[in-house]
Amino acid sequence: MTLELENVGRNINKQWIVENICLTVADNECLALVGPSGCGKSTTLRLIAGLDPVSAGSIHIRGRDITSLSPSERSVGMVFQSYALLPHLTVFENLELGLRVRGVPKPERRFKIKGILDLVQLWNRADNRPAELSGGQRQRVALARALLRDPEVYLLDEPMSNLDAQLREDIRPELRRLVLEQRKPTIYVTHDQHEAMAMAQRIAVLHEGRIEQIDTPYNLYHNPESLFVARFIGRPQINCLKGDSGSIRAVRPESIRFSDEGLSGKLQSREWLGNSQLLFLETQQGVIRMMTSPDQGIPAQIRLTWRAEDEILFDADTGLRSRR
Amino acid sequence: MKATRFLILALLVWSLAPLTWQLYTSFCIDQALVTPFASLNQRWTLDHYQSVLNSNPPFIRYLLNSLFVGGLSTFLTLLLAIPSSYSLSKMGRRSSLVIKFFLIGCALFPYVLLFLALLEIARYLQLGNSLIALAVPYAALSQPLAILLLTNAFSDLPAELEDAARVEGLSVVQRFRWILLPLISPAIASTAILVFLFSWNEYPIALTWISDSGKLTLPVAMARIAGSSIHSVPYGPYAAATVIGSIPLILLVMVFQKPIVSGLTTGAVKG
Repeated sequence: MTLELENVGRNINKQWIVENICLTVADNECLALVGPSGCGKSTTLRLIAGLDPVSAGSIHIRGRDITSLSPSERSVGMVFQSYALLPHLTVFENLELGLRVRGVPKPERRFKIKGILDLVQLWNRADNRPAELSGGQRQRVALARALLRDPEVYLLDEPMSNLDAQLREDIRPELRRLVLEQRKPTIYVTHDQHEAMAMAQRIAVLHEGRIEQIDTPYNLYHNPESLFVARFIGRPQINCLKGDSGSIRAVRPESIRFSDEGLSGKLQSREWLGNSQLLFLETQQGVIRMMTSPDQGIPAQIRLTWRAEDEILFDADTGLRSRR
Repeated sequence: MKATRFLILALLVWSLAPLTWQLYTSFCIDQALVTPFASLNQRWTLDHYQSVLNSNPPFIRYLLNSLFVGGLSTFLTLLLAIPSSYSLSKMGRRSSLVIKFFLIGCALFPYVLLFLALLEIARYLQLGNSLIALAVPYAALSQPLAILLLTNAFSDLPAELEDAARVEGLSVVQRFRWILLPLISPAIASTAILVFLFSWNEYPIALTWISDSGKLTLPVAMARIAGSSIHSVPYGPYAAATVIGSIPLILLVMVFQKPIVSGLTTGAVKG
């Protein structure tokens, strides 16, 4: 494994911001870190980059222990949420700065920057200041800066959260082409689970500084190990119903069907989503969300059911998956 | 809209009228000052300027002395305040707050009360009659204000800019050279001007530390002109001296107008 985190933790004022983080990311793999804000996903990234000191555990890149190295010695390429471009320098100068302090001679600097700006299709904007670029262009410059380092590991911290939804969708294939084709381990921090599923082979869900589950997008959705993961992954949110003997039964909205028998309910409201509709149904168990095809009619007597295999059981006390 | 304009006009009159009056006085013959409405053949004169500039030592010497002390004290202030405010901006919230309150306390302390002690120190270290020595207490007295202003500027900078530079491998010195100093230059300019102004206007310390008439700073020299005769106040030469003394300041503010305004309002560049 190329990037390994072993029981990594960060402690500030006797409080663990992140704790017991164990991750391995292979070459040519993109791992997404997702979780609600304040869960420690950005902190984890900063620990790998060396921007914050590690309080416990160790980090290895290609078997080399980098736990106590400075950021510049780690060979990581990082893209920041705000892009972190210097406003008083041109695009070219922004890219040149890192090469200059690393002692790359001038003709070579120019050659490399030309190459990388051609790759992100921004060579014609080389003499512009960041303020003269659009959000998408700035993002590509920030990406170019990371690529220019030719690092061992790519770290992307919410790289698209400052872009509007349409642009994000347009840039995703571009980002995949540029970063994932480098065949280096990539860690992608995002709060957007759709983006995580689109970009990453595996996703780590963080909750209160700990990893709840690391798995493929498919498994996270269909086999969540905890109630938190089940609720966090998947929109509209999973339905949670009280089961017998302190258990919670969780059912995805698209698994709910109308039938002749089962839980009776009343239509509260409906949302049209284009290719589907979302029904909010009031039952004795609270409001149930149901996803169904847009041409589905609503029966006069609403009764809801679902297949037993679509139901996931959790322990109400621990929040963990309980197998039958 | 109208009210704002009126207010601006009132402010302009309030701040410019005394200056205009001083300018007028400096070009008038003494008689015209005493009897402003009498018809005189010769109202205007350059005599006051001539007498000020041709005095011994020439007035320009005081101007140069003040420029030297002002420049040196500004330099010393920034040399100490920039690194300390950078570290203060990186500190934990609680400890930096304690230090900031302490600094505000220092800034509010009336420095005239320190002045006897400073005099003793100057005498002990034999710092009398040295312009270089004069810059030291000026720089020290300006520290609190300079640190507070610059700390705000550093704190306003997006932290990711420096993080990105660290990943790129820039050392602290390189980060100062390429990122921090260019980005807080408006704040540095406005701080520098405030320090320079303080040093330019300072009177009690300069009065007591300097007795050699070739090393006086402007305020002391002007006071000497004003008090040169016990029979009359030489309004004309005094006005001429103040006009000459304010020219460098006006030039300074005109050159740095843009950074001062942006430095006082926002403090830094936003992402």
